[in-house]
Amino acid sequence: MARMKFYCDAERCVECNACVTACKNEHEIPWGVNRRRVVTIKDGEQGERSLSVACMHCSDAPCAVVCPVDCFYTTSDGIVLHDKDICIGCGYCFYACPFGAPQFPESSAFSSRGKMDKCTFCAGGPEQDHSSEETRKYGRNRLSEGKLPLCAEMCSTKALLAGDADVLSDIYRKRVINRGASAFNWGVNFNNSKLQG
Amino acid sequence: MIHRESDVRIPTLLLLMCMLFLQFQVHAADPPPPPGMVSTVPGAELWRKVRQRDGKSTDGISQVKGVDAGILINTQGDRWARFRINKLSPYGSIALAVVFLVIVLFFVLRGKIGIDGGLSGRMVHRFSDYERIVHWTLAIVFIFLAITGLILLLGRPLLIPLLGKEAFSLLASAGKEGHNLFGPIFLISLLMMLFSFVRRNIYEKGDLTWLLKGGGFIGEGHVSGGFFNMGEKTWYWIVILIGLLISISGLVLVMPNFGQSRIIMEISHVLHVLGAVVLIAVSIGHMYLGSFGTEGTAEGMKTGYVDINWVEAHHDRWAKECHEKNLVISAEEYARILGKKAESGELLATEQEQGK
Repeated sequence: MARMKFYCDAERCVECNACVTACKNEHEIPWGVNRRRVVTIKDGEQGERSLSVACMHCSDAPCAVVCPVDCFYTTSDGIVLHDKDICIGCGYCFYACPFGAPQFPESSAFSSRGKMDKCTFCAGGPEQDHSSEETRKYGRNRLSEGKLPLCAEMCSTKALLAGDADVLSDIYRKRVINRGASAFNWGVNFNNSKLQG
Repeated sequence: MIHRESDVRIPTLLLLMCMLFLQFQVHAADPPPPPGMVSTVPGAELWRKVRQRDGKSTDGISQVKGVDAGILINTQGDRWARFRINKLSPYGSIALAVVFLVIVLFFVLRGKIGIDGGLSGRMVHRFSDYERIVHWTLAIVFIFLAITGLILLLGRPLLIPLLGKEAFSLLASAGKEGHNLFGPIFLISLLMMLFSFVRRNIYEKGDLTWLLKGGGFIGEGHVSGGFFNMGEKTWYWIVILIGLLISISGLVLVMPNFGQSRIIMEISHVLHVLGAVVLIAVSIGHMYLGSFGTEGTAEGMKTGYVDINWVEAHHDRWAKECHEKNLVISAEEYARILGKKAESGELLATEQEQGK
């Protein structure tokens, strides 16, 4: 059985934010909610790197551990999903998540939290596949159509990878080996290329 | 239990291992790097920063606007989640159960604390209507908040096996909404409690003696006290101070629209639960002593009047004042006051009926 994973290659991500836009459009996500975001570290300095981050579908997810109503479940593909009919919008998963993945639409006065929304690995929710209920609550279900998450499929630099963890590891290993063998030694790390190139 | 290893890190680890390996190969012929030079593995330094291994948080930037959107890895969340599951929830419930058992044991061993010479029937006015309304509003709101709060804290291990996920979700959802709605009402009634009772709850000279004698719980006989004895004053200040702590931390949690970060909300949550557990534990003692733990105490909050013998036993300094100011009323007078109240209530009811 495949274990579905995301991986973002920090040496390739150019912070175009297309993954964020594609996700928002594909799932018709409301204002204020972003299932995916790009974080840039050391912006404008030497060694700047960007990474696209969403729910990483942890093997032992802290959100599932902390949820007071036990609304999370892991699919046979290793995707962490949640049931919005069970969720009460307490916000605990947002505190516990290492990646800041859970998002809460504002439901009423004083911005009280609505039901939690997060990346589904484009795999919908517990409802019948492709039912209007599922689409309304969780967005599109691409996985059941044999497609991978849109954010990764349309990534222009192929920085963001999604799919079976074994396949991703192979792709990544090859990239790393190629970078090590390049004339500039560490590829895009200009600091070192000057030293050794 | 969460274990920190997850499949996400396997590619990262592989990457780092590959890079370290290649690093050594390339540098094999090079002279050793000057001392103090940082590792030239490009990924390692970045990931060390991202994981905040040096203890400093790495603030990135993000085009997505949201709470902590620029923070890539939230290193505190896992710690908070573990603390809630492994410490707060079990030890909190054990603490409450122990307090409950201790009180039951106390009741079995010591029984109801009586009054020497029994009740006289002659009464003294103790609490006004306003004071009793403030007390009971706070009490009812508090009990509601305690129950709904405990549902959220302990419901998953205790109630989901009984009710099932769907029914429990309904209960927890309603409980959460109710908790959020009545939280601010608790704060308002707490402030009313603060202002209406504060003057009589300031510690004074005889209070230390009360504490040294163990409040009469240890040994025989009653201990000297004023209008409120030292134990009641301490309960008052526990209610006010912990109540304020719970209210403020609750407001931090209930209104996430001020951009407070996750760490602030995590700390607020822990303080909220710790404060609530302490307050519930002490309130069980208060409810016991105020109802069937001591003879004649409940009367004060029911009718507003207490028996003069009860006052002599528990609040001798106030009793002296009552005698001096001639505040004691006879049993007939007391019955007349109660009767009058009952009559006026009936009168109101008949008037309303006629109005219809």
